[in-house]
Amino acid sequence: MKRLHLLLVGALLLAGCATQAPQPGTVVAVDRFSQLVVPGRTTRAELLAAFGPTRSVAFDSGYQAWLYSASAGGGRSEELVLLLDREGIVRKMRRRPPYASDTAAMQR
Amino acid sequence: MWPMRGLIGSLLLLCCLPAIAQETQPAPESATAPAATPQTVTVTSTRDPVDKSYRKMIRGMERFERQHALAPGATLRFRLLPRLPTVNMRGITLKVVGDHITVPVAVAEDNGFTLPRNEQALREDAAVIANRKTTSMTWRAQVVTPGLPPDTRRLGDLRLECLVGVEAGLVSNSSPLFGWIASALNSPEQVCNSADGNFLFFTERPLFSVTLRAGGRTEILPFRMLYAGGEQTRDELQYCDCQVMLDRTYYAPIWDRSWPDDTLVSFEYMQDAPAPASASGEAAP
Repeated sequence: MKRLHLLLVGALLLAGCATQAPQPGTVVAVDRFSQLVVPGRTTRAELLAAFGPTRSVAFDSGYQAWLYSASAGGGRSEELVLLLDREGIVRKMRRRPPYASDTAAMQR
Repeated sequence: MWPMRGLIGSLLLLCCLPAIAQETQPAPESATAPAATPQTVTVTSTRDPVDKSYRKMIRGMERFERQHALAPGATLRFRLLPRLPTVNMRGITLKVVGDHITVPVAVAEDNGFTLPRNEQALREDAAVIANRKTTSMTWRAQVVTPGLPPDTRRLGDLRLECLVGVEAGLVSNSSPLFGWIASALNSPEQVCNSADGNFLFFTERPLFSVTLRAGGRTEILPFRMLYAGGEQTRDELQYCDCQVMLDRTYYAPIWDRSWPDDTLVSFEYMQDAPAPASASGEAAP
């Protein structure tokens, strides 16, 4: 019985650490995004002015990864990820379309 | 059964830590020592060093042999990685230390190593000890199939790295108390076969994108599978062994059996690889 109590206490402690699902990035219109964002030229200030702040990760190197999202139809969305360098200039961009496996992952 | 014993043992250890710490305090300076004579002290060990259980690491090696089919052409090494920005990753020495035995372990330039099997060290429940302070480094198993294209890994290799790493007790990815509870309650299968297993992988350089390829299927990993989920605050990062490698951190879908073991995981880095040093006389004077 004592073991069961300990297990329950452990499970509750771990459950207390559970976090909410990550928030998606700010939603943008993909055409406008593709038009305005040019790697090697677009700056942080221009991104903020055009699309507003969004979810980002800052690294010790001074680089940042920014995540925007755009509707892909049918209630699905694609990811638009930008890499900004130390000077705040977009260096890389990637578009990740929705995949069939995303639905399975969301249901897990 | 034994995980609960381990949990109770860990909690008891927590209670005893102050006493242990007290025992290892340095002796007070002798009042009779000659004050005028300068003394040289050679430090041969680090207080509170990084250490791992030798028995557990051997169990990890046994797990590798049992599940070698996940990565039939691969070999196993262990690897030391930085966890604090201040840690010097050069010149690390490693040894297996029991009550009556010490076995030195050769550490390669990339801080990889293999462990010899030693029955006496197993009997004595030896520790694998590095000359760096605890929490300054993290450890991983490294399972690599030779001959893969550059900047790629094989998913079966990563699956086996997870199983070996958890079995060997290498991962310290949460606060100490929660780490003990989690390791007492989670088996390698529970960690490695679950989407919530929270087993982190690291690349050699800062990472921008990860793509999976198997047959005609290609998928880019979502943002939430990079950078340890990308939601860690500065305070939370100290409990993640990705602390100084956040930009090299990713989750691989090792739990998702729709991706076969031969799936290639390819990396696009934040910056291109530095050009190899030219042979045409660009060396520093």
